[in-house]
Order: sequence, then C-alpha cells, then structure tokens
Amino acid sequence: MDFRFFRAMITGKTGNIAISMIDRNRGTTWAGRKALEIDPDLLTRFAGIDPERVIFVTGTNGKSTVSNMITHILRSKGYKVISNSEGANLKTGVAAALVKKASLSGTVRADYCVFETDERYLAQIRDQLPCSNLLVTNLQKDQVQRNGDPDFVYRKIAAVADKHKMRLFLNGDEPRSCSLADHSDNVVFYGVSRHSMAFTKDDTFVTLPCPKCHSRIRFGYYNNDGMGAFKCDRCGYTNNNGREAAQYRITEADFDAGTFRMGETAFLMPYKQTYMLYNYAAATAVCRELAGITEAESAAAIRSFKVPEGRIEEITSGSQTIKYYRFKQENPETLQNFLSAVAADPEEKVVIIGFGTVSDYDPYYVNSFYAFDCDYSVLKKANVRKYIFVTDTIAYDAANCFIYGGVDPSMIEILPTSDEEEIFDAIKTCGCSNIYLNVKLHMYEELKEYARKEM
Amino acid sequence: MADRKINIAWMYPDTLYLHGERGNIMALVRFAMELGLTPHVRRIDLGTKDFDPMEYDILFYGPGEISSFRSVIRDISGYKRSIAEYISSGKVLIATGTSMAMFAERIIRSSPDTENGAGEVIDGLCVIPADAFEREYVYGNDLLIRAEYGGYSMELIGNQIQMTDISFTESGQYRRFGTVIYGRGNNGHDELEGAVHGNSIFTNMLGPMLVSNPWLTVQILRMAAAAKGTEVLALDPDYSLEIRSMELKKNFIDDKESI
Repeated sequence: MDFRFFRAMITGKTGNIAISMIDRNRGTTWAGRKALEIDPDLLTRFAGIDPERVIFVTGTNGKSTVSNMITHILRSKGYKVISNSEGANLKTGVAAALVKKASLSGTVRADYCVFETDERYLAQIRDQLPCSNLLVTNLQKDQVQRNGDPDFVYRKIAAVADKHKMRLFLNGDEPRSCSLADHSDNVVFYGVSRHSMAFTKDDTFVTLPCPKCHSRIRFGYYNNDGMGAFKCDRCGYTNNNGREAAQYRITEADFDAGTFRMGETAFLMPYKQTYMLYNYAAATAVCRELAGITEAESAAAIRSFKVPEGRIEEITSGSQTIKYYRFKQENPETLQNFLSAVAADPEEKVVIIGFGTVSDYDPYYVNSFYAFDCDYSVLKKANVRKYIFVTDTIAYDAANCFIYGGVDPSMIEILPTSDEEEIFDAIKTCGCSNIYLNVKLHMYEELKEYARKEM
Repeated sequence: MADRKINIAWMYPDTLYLHGERGNIMALVRFAMELGLTPHVRRIDLGTKDFDPMEYDILFYGPGEISSFRSVIRDISGYKRSIAEYISSGKVLIATGTSMAMFAERIIRSSPDTENGAGEVIDGLCVIPADAFEREYVYGNDLLIRAEYGGYSMELIGNQIQMTDISFTESGQYRRFGTVIYGRGNNGHDELEGAVHGNSIFTNMLGPMLVSNPWLTVQILRMAAAAKGTEVLALDPDYSLEIRSMELKKNFIDDKESI
C-alpha cells in the first residue's frame, strides 16, 4: 500500500473521530481536505469500488434531496451505502465520505456509492473515481457570478459524459439537461405527466434557447418552473430527446390526497411541492436500474423520507407559524417555487422577502435581476395581507420587482435592514399568525434562534 | 392626430434570455405610457420572416450565451444593411451584457470545451470597432458609472456578469457610454463602459438597467420619440423608490474595496 495513502487515511479517520467527539454536526469536509492534502490522488486508490454501483448526482436544483432519497431507499432495502449525504459535494466531501467508511487499507465495503457532486467539480472527481452512472436533475440559471450561464455548466457535464461513456439518468421534461442524451448511448429518462397544478406562461416571459439549434423553446405547460411539455419551434426537439415517453413517469398526481402513480404502483408523497415529483421519479428510476428495487419497494421507503435540514422548515413562535423555504439567490426557479407555495396556501399570510448580498465569491455583490424571470401573477389570489421587504442592500430593488410583477404597492412595507432582531420584531408585530419567509439560510437560522428564545 | 405609438422589438427573447432582462421591456412599456406614448412590443425570433427594423423605434437585445451567437449573428446578418440604416437614422438600439460582443468585429473564445476549442473566432456584426474576448472566468460585480446620453449626464447603477471583455480597436463614430466609478466596465483597464453609436447603446450593465435607472429609460424613450418626430408629455416622475434603492446600493459599494 502506498505510504502517502496510508498516512492520508490515518489522518482523515483520526480527524473524523476527533471532530465527531467535539460536535457531530461539524467537519463534513475537514477529513477529506486533510487527506487530500497528504495524498492528492487519494480518490484513485480505493479498492473494491464497482463503477456500475456508483452514481454521481449533479444539476442545478434538487441534487441533495435526490441523492439523499436514493440513499434512503437503498438503505431501506438493507444495502450498505456510502454517500456524502451531508451535502459536501466537492472533491473534499466525496473524499471525506470514503475515508470515513473505507477500511484503513482503503477497501470500500459498500453495496453502493451515491455521491452528490457539484456541477463544476464533476470532471475532476470522475477523473479520479470510477463511476458508470450520472444523474443530472436539471440545468438552470444559477450562480451567475460563478457560471455566467447554464451553457457553461452544460459543456462541462457533456465533456464528462463523452469521455467516460456513462449511463445517464435525465429529466426528460427539462430541455437543457434532457439534451445531454446526445452524449450517451445509455440513457434513462424520468418525468411527470401533466398534473392539476401545472401552469402556463404568456409571451412576456422567456424560456430558453433550444440546446440543439438555439431557436425558441415553447412550453405547452409547466409542471414546475422550467419543466413540462416543450418543443423547439425550428428543429422540433422535444421531451425525452424525442423518445415517445420517459421510462419512469409519474402520473395521476393528486396534491390534495398526497398521492401519485408510477406504472401500476401508488405512492404517497411525504412532501407535496411540485418539484418534489421530479425528485421522487429520479430516485425511483435510479433504484430500479441500479439495484432492481421495485416501484412498490421505493414507494414504501419514500413514505418515511425526510428532506435534508434547512430546505423546507416550519418554526413556531408564540401564536405564529413561520414557514421557511430555502431559496438560492441568482436562481429564479427556487424563488418561483416559493411563490407557488405561498399561492397554494389559502390562509391569510404575511410574506417576508429578504434578497441579500451574494457572498459566495469575491467580490461580494448585490443582484435581484433573476427575480424578473418569475411570474408574480400567482400571488393575485394568494390571500397575502402584507409583504415586508428586508435587507440593507436590495430591499427596495426586490420590492420594485414585485411591483413590476403586479403586486399592489400599498401592500408593501420596506424595512431596509439586515438586523435580525429588527426583522424578528417586524414579524412579531405584523398581526398575522401565518408567515412565509424567503431569506438567506444564515438569516433564517438567526431568526430561528430568536424564535427559540421566545418559547 | 399625432402618431403616439412607440414600436419596440424584443429581439430573440428566448435565445438572448439571461439575467432577467425582460424587466427592461417592462420598464420601457411603463415609462412610455407615463410619457403619453402607446407602446407596442413584438417578439422577434430566429427566422421571423417579415422583420424590418425600420418599422420599429427601439430594438432591444438582451444578454445570451456565446454558444448562440453564430445563430443570432446569421439571423441579424439577413437584415444587416437595415441595422446600419436603422442606427444612422437616430433610432434606438439597446444591446446589454454579452450581446454587445455580437455587434463587435470579432468574438474570440477561450474555453477548450467549446465547439472548436479555445481560440475559435466568431465574426461579429462590425457595428462597433471592437474585439470581444471571452473570459476564462466570469466576472460578476456591481457596476456604477457616470453616463452621457441624449445630452444628459447621469449616474447609473446595476451589475455586470462579464463573460466577454471588450477592447475598442479604433475611435470611430462611437463614443463612450459611461465612465466607470465602481466595477469593471468594458475591460477593467480603461475605465470605459459601453459605447454609444448614434442614439444606440451598447453596454455591459444589467440590473435590469432600465428598471434600476428610470431616468435613463425616460431619456431613451424621448430620443426614440424624437427620431420619429413625436413629442412626449412633460413628465413629473416619481423616482423615489429607485433613488432610495440606488443610495442603499451605493452605501454597500462604498464599504467594499474597489477592484
């Protein structure tokens, strides 16, 4: 055994033990980072990995949830799974998960490996770690300061698929990622049939260029923002890259009853958001293809599935219920999902919007332009009593965007502060028990702490 | 009765679709109505057969992916003579973000994973005497400039998501759109931001720029109306929301280290 590798494993494993003794919630990447510092080729040295039983999950939205769901289903059938389910999706996170679970000599004793991988680091990781399966959830506008445009990410993923001849699991209802099918001879499509919450958008909204000929993509309907029945005006490119139907397709979604079907199998939805349907379909497809797990077995497992912490949460403070939906700045789809959740709740509510500084990379900056891609007409009948816009950077910009979207300015209060105490006071005194909160995760965690102290 | 219609062509909106730039169309419509004009917006897509630029008062090109540029340039080339005629007639063309590169002379790509690899050259439309160089890494930041347009000097705020740097190759009929106060501008070296040719604007500024800076929007509409001989109403605009927004963002910028 290579001495550097042995030293890296010792350091990583010792670090893992030490960190878990201090705080179990910390250190998801520390061990991986340290181990990679000692042995940069660490990922190439593990033994016992069958590439056919490894899957990378990438894409703009949903990769954490889907990889967690796949892991949950596999484990429910008794399989031993290695995953970076704590969301550390760079090379260090994958390394940390393997260091933790492999033997000291580097032998991986697991039935399956499920790794969420950041879109931009996929190539680096795949070059070192053998893997035959790649799931791409969707490719949408996101992190423009890092990626510029979705095509940038598309090219990176396509290059990996070309180089490594991987089996692809693709969302047949999302035009950009669906067209990655041109880069593999082995493609599994999943999708969702039109459901009762499907919607349309008029010509004042943009879609995206056809990934094949750059012409206009039209959507007949959307099941979720950016996903639905689509066709290119010019070349005719359509769902499932032209195949008649996705192999794994959800039908008969009933959001009141919380049920849907896939083939002959009835499923219960633990989460009723429209985007979750695509996550259920993706996880079921992967488990069937990789492990032969039937739809009925996936359905049974999905009933007890919990989304990763910090995605959809409710906190209670006095008589108030604060509903938090995590949204990603620079990503219109997650904002649209929040708006849809607000609209789906018939009870009167106050909505708090806190777009803030984009602080992923240097230089930090402020932007709200992605919000102009959203459809605010869903709020017309959403029974909103008031909107409160916060943050000391772009509270006015965000409010202006909602006004352009058709929200009555008299329903808007602007609180140009990022002080959590002030914001929490505004929530407490807003006179409504049903609060929808759309702020960055850090601000939510601070507000949650204030709520906890109030109890 | 005077023709109060203002015809706006929204160019290739699903192809040049990035960064929420539909907000600019919404701002043009809103302020056109405030000026007593009747805005009419038409989407022009790749392959639209009956498009004649001279039938429009404002052409708007938003930012798109460089991978789409060959298709878009080919389509624009179908009416290229008319675009030159359009600009020289004093009508308004607005190109924002990466679209500015299409109107340059050449676009030089940097990414090895593009169709023809790094160094691939795409011939531009040669409307502005400049070369566009695709950046290896995206540059995203706030952008604050002092702009000159339509005889007015104004401060404009927004963002830039810089995929291509622009370097002018000669001084021609164009003039600078703005001087950078904070941000990168065309290339981070010469403090220039964008270009103006006739009454047409080529700029890196996003935001959407015409939402965040309605004083520019109104001036653009005035120029477009003047080009067709239409008088606009005297406007007593309420820019209070946008002014407060600008102050907040300038405070944020002041606390940052400049590039």
